[in-house]
Amino acid sequence: MRGLFLKLLRRRHLHRDLERELAFHREMAAAQGNPVPLGNPAVIKEQALDLWRFTFLENVWRDLVYGARSLRRSPALVVSTVLSLALGIGVNTTIFSLAVEFLFSEPSVSNSRSIVSVRLGGNSHVKPEVIEFVRQGGVFADVVGEREESFVNWNDGTQTRPIFGMVTTKNFFTALGVPMAYGRGLLPGDPDEVVVLNNHFWRKHFHSDPSIVGRSINLDGKAYTVVGVLPAQHRTLLGFGFAPDVYLPYFIEDTLLAIYARLKPGMSIDKARAGVTLVAKRLDTVLPEPYFKYGTSCEVKPVSGFARIKKQREALALGLFFLMLQIVLGLVLLIACANVASLLLARAASRRQEIAVRLSLGASRRRLVQQLMVESLLLSTVGAGFGLALAHIVATLLTRIRFPLPFPLRLQFSLDWRVATYATCLAIIATVVCGLLPAWQSVRESIASQSKREPKLRLRRALVMAQVATSVIVLVTGSLFLRNLLKANSISPGFDVRHTLRAEAHLPPARYEDQQSKDRYVDQILHELAAVPGIEGVAAARILPFTDQATRGQGLKFPDTGQNVHASFSWNAVTPEYFRAMSIPVLQGRSFLISDDGENNVAIVNQEFVKRYLANQRAVGRVFLWGPDGNTPCQIVGVVGNTKTLTIGEDDRPQLYEPLAQINDDRTRIQFVMKSTLPPVMQLDPVRGVLRRVEPAAGTEVATLFSSIGLAFLPSQVGAALLGSAGVLGLLLATIGLYGVMVYSVERRTREIGLRVAVGAGQRNILRMVLFDSLKITAMGSALGLCVALVATRPLALFLVQGLKPADPLTFGIVAVILGLTGVIAAWGPVRRALAIDPMSALRHE
Amino acid sequence: MAKSSYPTLLQGTLDLLILHVLQRGPMHGYAIAQTIHLLSDEVLKVEEGSLYPALYRLELDGAISASWGVSENNRRAKYYEITERGRKLVSEQQNTWNRLSLAVQRVLAR
Repeated sequence: MRGLFLKLLRRRHLHRDLERELAFHREMAAAQGNPVPLGNPAVIKEQALDLWRFTFLENVWRDLVYGARSLRRSPALVVSTVLSLALGIGVNTTIFSLAVEFLFSEPSVSNSRSIVSVRLGGNSHVKPEVIEFVRQGGVFADVVGEREESFVNWNDGTQTRPIFGMVTTKNFFTALGVPMAYGRGLLPGDPDEVVVLNNHFWRKHFHSDPSIVGRSINLDGKAYTVVGVLPAQHRTLLGFGFAPDVYLPYFIEDTLLAIYARLKPGMSIDKARAGVTLVAKRLDTVLPEPYFKYGTSCEVKPVSGFARIKKQREALALGLFFLMLQIVLGLVLLIACANVASLLLARAASRRQEIAVRLSLGASRRRLVQQLMVESLLLSTVGAGFGLALAHIVATLLTRIRFPLPFPLRLQFSLDWRVATYATCLAIIATVVCGLLPAWQSVRESIASQSKREPKLRLRRALVMAQVATSVIVLVTGSLFLRNLLKANSISPGFDVRHTLRAEAHLPPARYEDQQSKDRYVDQILHELAAVPGIEGVAAARILPFTDQATRGQGLKFPDTGQNVHASFSWNAVTPEYFRAMSIPVLQGRSFLISDDGENNVAIVNQEFVKRYLANQRAVGRVFLWGPDGNTPCQIVGVVGNTKTLTIGEDDRPQLYEPLAQINDDRTRIQFVMKSTLPPVMQLDPVRGVLRRVEPAAGTEVATLFSSIGLAFLPSQVGAALLGSAGVLGLLLATIGLYGVMVYSVERRTREIGLRVAVGAGQRNILRMVLFDSLKITAMGSALGLCVALVATRPLALFLVQGLKPADPLTFGIVAVILGLTGVIAAWGPVRRALAIDPMSALRHE
Repeated sequence: MAKSSYPTLLQGTLDLLILHVLQRGPMHGYAIAQTIHLLSDEVLKVEEGSLYPALYRLELDGAISASWGVSENNRRAKYYEITERGRKLVSEQQNTWNRLSLAVQRVLAR
């Protein structure tokens, strides 16, 4: 390498040497009366210098200059190729940077590879004492706890609103080594009333004022001292762009926390699991739990990198989705490359003469191919540059989008080395795909040019056919997801979303510690809301569908039949009016009554529950035994319709409702739903007024149910938007390609068409000739594409709603029709051109 | 290629000839070509088109070294000198060549 470098430096010197040496040789030969030796001095020089290897580099440089110069003369070609490649590379890079952010972003901690998440006894969250016990167990270098979803009420001086807080143990910042922008993180010796602000929260509400550190803010009615501000690029351990507003030390009794730990240097995951299992078994004797044992199943999982994706189901599903997207967009890029290749083929055909001259002057074929490849490298590099710029713009726009999610999400894209490498690889692939075929073709044809044959269009036609086939695959995928969206929108969630409002109140925990005070609050709200004109049916619920979900697995014993089932169901606790407020039909039995207050345990189940666990037999009136001791009787008093719980596409799940008054609610977050005879938007202010009047210190949120169930439609919407646009983009590129070939074909056949007209062909014949030509290419390409798509789209079933199969005949039919139209549209311009050919001037053509 | 009345050199033999000639002492390119021409009784003619690439190749190989000097007619010329490695190479190649030419002669003699 060093040698090559030195040679490069000495290049000029060597060049001069060789020239002098050759001159000397000739002089000597002339002086001695020898004939001047045969041989081309330029070739000799080139051959001799070839040995010094830098000819290759010199040639590349010369080709670059030459290529840039010749491309400058055809701006139309440059604009269309660069645009195609920029679009193709741009969308690919955008999705890639999204995937990197979602799947491979590292949490903002020191040495993230050594951080693991720990589960004891299958519990995601445990009591703070348990965390302290594990920490003292000494298996890990350090152990911390965090509670991701906690709300605190922030009073900014004029109003109180709930903000998203992350509750952590006080050693969280020190043990993980979280970098800070201003101030410091929480310290183990801190009092309880300290808070760390997230960067976006600080920017938005404190106008990026660093002097906030040391001042105090009002949270849940108490003054909290701001000790620090996180940097803008802070990423949480949870990942996926999750970004809470503030970080607080845990303070509420019975808050459960997720465990994270730092492995000791050199410790393997398996060893850590074995170690923590021993600690958990000791825990079972020291702090025994009635319902489960800590020591039964202990998990230790990495929080970053590939290891996380393998272990986490959500990450794996997301990874698969991105993989599919990347494949589809890769196909779009291929279509774009085919366009560029097609244009370069046309250009090569017009440069036949230039290439033939160079070949006959002694240029080697390799050398010519190299020169043509350098040209396409130039094009794809510029294309990739624009593509990266495009990706940056799109990514910046994406970070501004507020996703309709019930938790704060802030994506941070950075065009880091991974994205840059990816774009570079794409550019190289594009160079080869775009350039190799035209270069090879042009060199080959120029050799055969003595025969004066017209270059065949076959290659370009084949290219366009492949393009059409590829765009069929992309289009099928896109329209499958569009159909998926339509289907998802038409699925009824099982309750009324258009006439319903939801409200949420976060009570200050200090003043609502006991159950009675909470019950009193709920009763008063229900009473006052019912009095609002236009409101019919108000209820409180522990969980609202599509915002949250609780699954319970429990043994149910039916004493009447002696049957013992292990049931897994979505659980909820609601007040009597819930089913009326949500318009969920009560099919058998009755709804809850005020009198169902825990004296006699009752439950309502849904149809799916009856089908799965009661064999579709009579349900109302039956009693089962459950509870912590497995012996508490509970009577089923009603059966209601099925409702969706988290996503619209999911299968129906068994559901079980209990009266809210029957359970012990440990949360201070209370949700209400109400049905309105007026448009729900008009009721927002009256409802807000009621909530404020009853408890001014509570943080409240009021919205229409329609606006807050966005989460349920998000997967199908995102899928449809992304793949639908990919399909449209692919089709557009293929249409341009087809158009280009048709124009070129008509131009080449000008004489022939003129002759045909001269001997009496009518307009109709000409029209048919050109149109059929275009349709033939489209039809063959589509047939090929549809066959491939039939097989290739099979794995997509994973992402589609129930009842929609990848081999959906309607989708395939629509795609076929679209392509037929494309063939006609692409042929339209060329047909008009062909019809306008004047036979007399056409015969004089060339 | 233009037809020439001189027999063309077999591939690879030029290197051997150059090295052999250089065993007599340092020489510039033209002198090497002339020496080969004369020693072969004016049968072999080395064209500059093949001579200089061969010299450059040998120099890169380390079989010969080059330095600028003054020629017999007082001009600056590049002189080539055989190295230790070159001497070893020449004896090896000579053996190979001897065996090859002997074998060819045997075949042609029958």
